[in-house]
Amino acid sequence: MADRASRDQSFREEALPEMDAVYRFALRLAREPDQAEDLTQETFLRAYRNWEKYTPGTRARSWLFTICRNLFIRREERSRRHQEIVQEASEEDPRQISREATIFMSVRNRDPEGEFWSQVVDAEVLRAIEGLPAEFREAVVLSDLEDLSYQEVAEVVGAPVGTVKSRLFRGRRMLQKALHDYAVETGIISPTSPRGAAR
Amino acid sequence: MKWMDEFRKLLRRVRDEVPYLSPPGGLSCQETVELLFEWLDEELEPELDERVATHLESCARCYPLLTFERAFREAVARATGNEKAPDELKERIMESLETEGFRSS
Repeated sequence: MADRASRDQSFREEALPEMDAVYRFALRLAREPDQAEDLTQETFLRAYRNWEKYTPGTRARSWLFTICRNLFIRREERSRRHQEIVQEASEEDPRQISREATIFMSVRNRDPEGEFWSQVVDAEVLRAIEGLPAEFREAVVLSDLEDLSYQEVAEVVGAPVGTVKSRLFRGRRMLQKALHDYAVETGIISPTSPRGAAR
Repeated sequence: MKWMDEFRKLLRRVRDEVPYLSPPGGLSCQETVELLFEWLDEELEPELDERVATHLESCARCYPLLTFERAFREAVARATGNEKAPDELKERIMESLETEGFRSS
């Protein structure tokens, strides 16, 4: 069947190359390799079954992420962990996240170019990302790791672009704080000196 | 308070009309800091994008922040860039697709 063949061909060309990206996204959502593998497999099965709903050339990556995220949320709801995730996210008081670049302000005398970022080991960066509350985590992952535009992130998470912007801003600031704290704890960067703090 | 609003408006006019009083790009450092992520993400309208760039180029206070944020983003991108789906998973996915009738070549 010609239709079937061209359908399979476009799936091969557009969906299959995104397998690594979907797996990475699933891993950041689920935080467990086994669950991430299941999610990835299920995402590709659903995507194949519903391939005619995808508009060719519109970036399969975000479409696949949407499927993956929906599957994840449904599973979480089933296991009631979703409740915890929602709570976890809303416990964060928006007023506590400053619009200022606070980490930069606190380290600029010690490391103005942010060289300590490059000394933080990759595993710690991943751990810090996984420690973010779900709604901030997914925004940071989609934008910074998978390079989606704000509009594409908004479509995947089903929120307005303005909300995505604010989640990204706060998510990145939280991530910076976590990594900075780790860098201080492990001696990569010295703690704020009393003189620096007084300035 | 109304007089405060009027006063702010007047300040803004003075700032806009007297070039040597206006900050680079017509943006304050606070405004630039708030727009920095959007600028780095290339998500700003061209006109605002240009103004942030102008501010960053000539502001000794904000430029170091740009270097700092870039270093942060590079660390995040590096940490996750090389992760790949395990080969066994890829094989499993291909097998399950084939049972749905998918032809892999």
